[in-house]
Amino acid sequence: MRIERRLRQPRWLPVAVPAGSLVFAFFASGLVLLATGHDALSSYRQIVDAAFLNSGAIGQTLTQATPLAFTGLAAAAAFRMRLFNIGAEGQLFIGAITADAAGLYLGGHGWPTPVVIFAMVVAGCAGGAAWASIPGALRAFFKTNEIITSLMLNYVAAYMLTYLVFNTESYWRQTTGFNASVFPTSKSLPDAAFWPAATIHVRGGIVLPLGAGIAVLVAILLWFLYTRTRFGFEAQVLGDSPRAARYAGIRTRRKILAVMAISGAVAGIGGASQVGDFSHLLDADPNGLQKQYYGYTGIVVAALARYNPLACVVVAFLIGALQNAGNTLQGADFPSGLVGVMQGIILFSALGGELLVRYRVRVGRTLPATEAA
Amino acid sequence: MGVENEKDRRGAQGAPPPAAVVMRGIVKRFPGVLANDRVDFEAAAGEVHALLGENGAGKSTLSNILTGLYRPDAGEIFLDGEPVQFHSPRDALDARIFMVHQHFRLVEPFTVAENVVLGDHRGEGRTFRLRHRAIEQRVAELSKRYGLAVDPRARVWQLSLGEQQRVEILKALYREARILILDEPTAVLTPQEADVLFETLREMAAEGRTVLFISHKLHEVKAVADRVTVLRGGRSIATVPAAEATLRSLAALMVGREMDSAAVPRARSAGDPVLELADVWADSDRGGSAVRGASLVVRGGEIVAVAGVAGNGQRELAETVAGMRPAARGTIRIAGKAIRGGDPRSAIAAGVAYVPEDRLGTGVAPSLSIAANLALKGYREPHASHGPLLRLARMRERAVELIERYRIAAPGPSAPARLLSGGNLQKVVLAREFSGRPRLLIAAAPTRGLDVGAIETVHAYLREAAADGVGVLLISEDLDEILTLADRIAVMYEGAMVGETSREEADVEEIGLLMAGGEDPRAD
Amino acid sequence: MNNSLLVVVLASGVAYGTPLLYGALGELLAERSGVLNLGVEGMMLVGAVMGFWAVQRLHADTGLSLAAAVGVAALAGTAMAAIHAFLVITLRASQIVSGLALTIFAGAAGLSSYLGNDLNLADNPARHSFNGVFPAAMQRWPVVGPILFGQNVLVYASWVCVVGVSLYLSRTRMGLNVRAVGEAPASADAMGINVTAYRYVHTLAGGAFAGVAGATFTLAITPQWVSGITGGAGWIAIALVIFAFWRPALCLVGAYFFGALQALSPQLQARQIHLGPTELWTNSLPYVMTVVVLVFVSASGARRRLGAPASLGLPYVREER
Repeated sequence: MRIERRLRQPRWLPVAVPAGSLVFAFFASGLVLLATGHDALSSYRQIVDAAFLNSGAIGQTLTQATPLAFTGLAAAAAFRMRLFNIGAEGQLFIGAITADAAGLYLGGHGWPTPVVIFAMVVAGCAGGAAWASIPGALRAFFKTNEIITSLMLNYVAAYMLTYLVFNTESYWRQTTGFNASVFPTSKSLPDAAFWPAATIHVRGGIVLPLGAGIAVLVAILLWFLYTRTRFGFEAQVLGDSPRAARYAGIRTRRKILAVMAISGAVAGIGGASQVGDFSHLLDADPNGLQKQYYGYTGIVVAALARYNPLACVVVAFLIGALQNAGNTLQGADFPSGLVGVMQGIILFSALGGELLVRYRVRVGRTLPATEAA
Repeated sequence: MGVENEKDRRGAQGAPPPAAVVMRGIVKRFPGVLANDRVDFEAAAGEVHALLGENGAGKSTLSNILTGLYRPDAGEIFLDGEPVQFHSPRDALDARIFMVHQHFRLVEPFTVAENVVLGDHRGEGRTFRLRHRAIEQRVAELSKRYGLAVDPRARVWQLSLGEQQRVEILKALYREARILILDEPTAVLTPQEADVLFETLREMAAEGRTVLFISHKLHEVKAVADRVTVLRGGRSIATVPAAEATLRSLAALMVGREMDSAAVPRARSAGDPVLELADVWADSDRGGSAVRGASLVVRGGEIVAVAGVAGNGQRELAETVAGMRPAARGTIRIAGKAIRGGDPRSAIAAGVAYVPEDRLGTGVAPSLSIAANLALKGYREPHASHGPLLRLARMRERAVELIERYRIAAPGPSAPARLLSGGNLQKVVLAREFSGRPRLLIAAAPTRGLDVGAIETVHAYLREAAADGVGVLLISEDLDEILTLADRIAVMYEGAMVGETSREEADVEEIGLLMAGGEDPRAD
Repeated sequence: MNNSLLVVVLASGVAYGTPLLYGALGELLAERSGVLNLGVEGMMLVGAVMGFWAVQRLHADTGLSLAAAVGVAALAGTAMAAIHAFLVITLRASQIVSGLALTIFAGAAGLSSYLGNDLNLADNPARHSFNGVFPAAMQRWPVVGPILFGQNVLVYASWVCVVGVSLYLSRTRMGLNVRAVGEAPASADAMGINVTAYRYVHTLAGGAFAGVAGATFTLAITPQWVSGITGGAGWIAIALVIFAFWRPALCLVGAYFFGALQALSPQLQARQIHLGPTELWTNSLPYVMTVVVLVFVSASGARRRLGAPASLGLPYVREER
């Protein structure tokens, strides 16, 4: 088998590969299910029901899809420039911490809801951006590999989150009341800091969280930034060829710092949305927010979307549906872990399929050297 | 084909022993390049045989085929009359063929001894357990016997390039190579070190080995080789005994052409200086200086060529003027104003356009659209952006315009640049660089790898630019091209200008000699 | 004396550090050949669940069951690593994304949990588990008793592995070849070393070690199966390789240091000792230190002396022009 670089790329290929990956993943996971004595079709039906068809299912899917959209967009924003920020997880936690602080403070001081929400979004952005700027600055100034540093900081962020509520009497922790004396918990947000949601009255009501709207807006902004602005142009050149970027007079260091900060900021809004839209408190329980792995799954989202921000939103919805099904169906008659297996296989096949986009695989050897003589 | 080989072998009986290496009809294609075109080559045991040719003549490709790194598309290889087929470098190593590459194949954090023994499965390194002491001892013995002084325990990254080369040769000796290939071995040596190397090589040949010496430096070839095979444009041109060849005859074979009578003399209208270099020094990527006190003036409206063989600092010089490489010393003035080195943006702003040697890696962002690549330098200008926003429609229109004006064969402005052929890619680069209304245009190897038609187009554009009053600095290893285009010719050797002449007074062989570091015949 | 903070922390540091050590040794082998595998956590979990499964289902005496279980765990880890190896070595996929995909595929919400559930492994203690091997009297010796003699076979085996991997890399022909493949694949290739084969073998070996690391949890530390039982140890193992400058002996030191940090926090709490935000710094110190070390390592020049394989994470393609 020989692998050669493709000179011409058919137009349909970049779309066919992710789509094919999804189909293949369902097929392969079906085989896993059958091999372990499950009824694959019934499992898939359960997934579809739990993800889309049951009453309130779409709302729950959106609850999962919203943070995934943010972390997916965060990954896409950085990966596009070949900056492998895999720290969306930690940036989301820090965004949640800063946004929660803003919500508690401003909401508690009687500011009107729009101001509080705006402040929470800004605080989430700032928190996420600051956290992402650590690996960003290390990369820009010391050429330190951002993959490992951003990954390591995820854990630091997670421990900070837990620490603030469980191990110290911080600003975020609920210190009065009966519950607080039994089990450590965080303060609930004042009503003024609750993010509003729109409800569509079909199928028992589909709740559209404000965060989902913001995610779509962010996707459009990112798409605009990367395709319609000078900044995006420079980022694209740098991502494609650092030498060409230098040749074109692009300031590399600044660009790295900016892109990492933007990536972190987007993940940070995801954290703000978690607090404002869904939990209304700082969910520091290691079995809560941290068990969802939004940051890592966001990379799945981004990779499947081939780092296209608009596609990220669509993919986030699909993967969110899968996550939602996995969460709701935990129990005796649904194989646990199936969702992770499927996500993994989707990603594996997308990665393998990427080879088909870039290379042509030829089976068979070239002419033996002596024959032609 | 088995039958044919039988015949070959029978025919060889009684005759003198078959040559150590015979390569027959070797063809190797790379995407868009025919690197070897039916090359025939033969070398005997006990000789130092030089492969002479200009850059891109196919010398390295041929030797990479002989060492199993590339597989030929066609052709046969015989060792001592036996046909062989190499599927990997290991096969060639097992046949005791060893190559010292231009970029050494050493593992830098390893010690000398570890590098020598790496991959060995027959000598001291064949045991599961590495016997460091035995290996070091063996390496020390070899280095003593052949006068290749190097400490077996030193780490490779601590060694000078000359010492690293000795390690490579020790690797070959350790493996008892019967065919040793050296690719441009003197590039990293001082003249004194080179003399020592030549002695070692002759000693090795005297032991019955075949030494293949790849070079484009005439005097070296003459000094070390018994016979010389000349390659040109991927073909083997001639094999001559070194003793009977003169530097002039070799230069003629290597460059291989009569003067181009079709060259159109232009009315020269040299204006004010657009580029003034005074004693410019710049570092190379490996450390050390690549440009060593270069001085040069280019005036508006003239084409000044820098001739020289690759690796004499021309690439670094071009990069320094374009701002991509900081100048360690000296001043660079563009249109009379000194510019800060190492800042491409200020060079661009001063009016420097640059057609880089490495067009796919540096000249374009290969996955981006042709339209984007046409705006790569000018995206800050009003024709491509308005404040922070891009004007995509305008960019596209301009791309369509340029594609038409420069006759770029492209599927459309939004096709990725990497799909273009070499010639069309170069047109994209030229179109972009010209449209920036430069004062100075640096063109580095602008026609390398292009076909004849594309070469003529590129030449026409360069002349046109000069006619518009742009100063053109042409950097080329192709003397043909230089003689066709240039008004003045400067020769660069080891980082400095070693001679300058006008086109009218130019003499191919003289320039060839200067390029190869030979003495200027007019000097005596 | 043996109840003093230091002895208790060190003794449990060795126990907690053992899975980190196995995981790090495996990752070290893969990285030395130039393959970064971020899927350690996933491989560990699959090793943990399959090792536990083997010990529950095999009806043999303790020694045999446990030995077989460790073997099964190693095989399971190898199988997981094979996916990564195929994707990144043969198909030249991004090592980063593929490794993360492996963690998602095999990890706490994936295959390990699927298998654990499907094979009905939860809520039962292990039928056999690794226990101390030295006589109780020796385990009570002051200081060295709990730390050195109070451990189980897996701990002692890990010491053998450290020595083995260390000697393999520094003293054998194959070790030399691996290092060459990770540093300068083009040079190794030119010297007739099969780069692809070396990368495959060491990535798979890395998986086997990770599998054993997982089994350490389910067969020695806990010993039972809980979904996500490794709790991030796989990531610490990756950090540890950097922290140890890609050297096996330093992996041991680092593993016990990180293990001791894990043990420190509950011990301090139990003894009512307050040292600032204890939980925060004991938990995050391994990660923060890794970042600091990484910055130090990436400083130019330091790289080659400290041992980061120069071609880590880069696919190798011979004939591309």
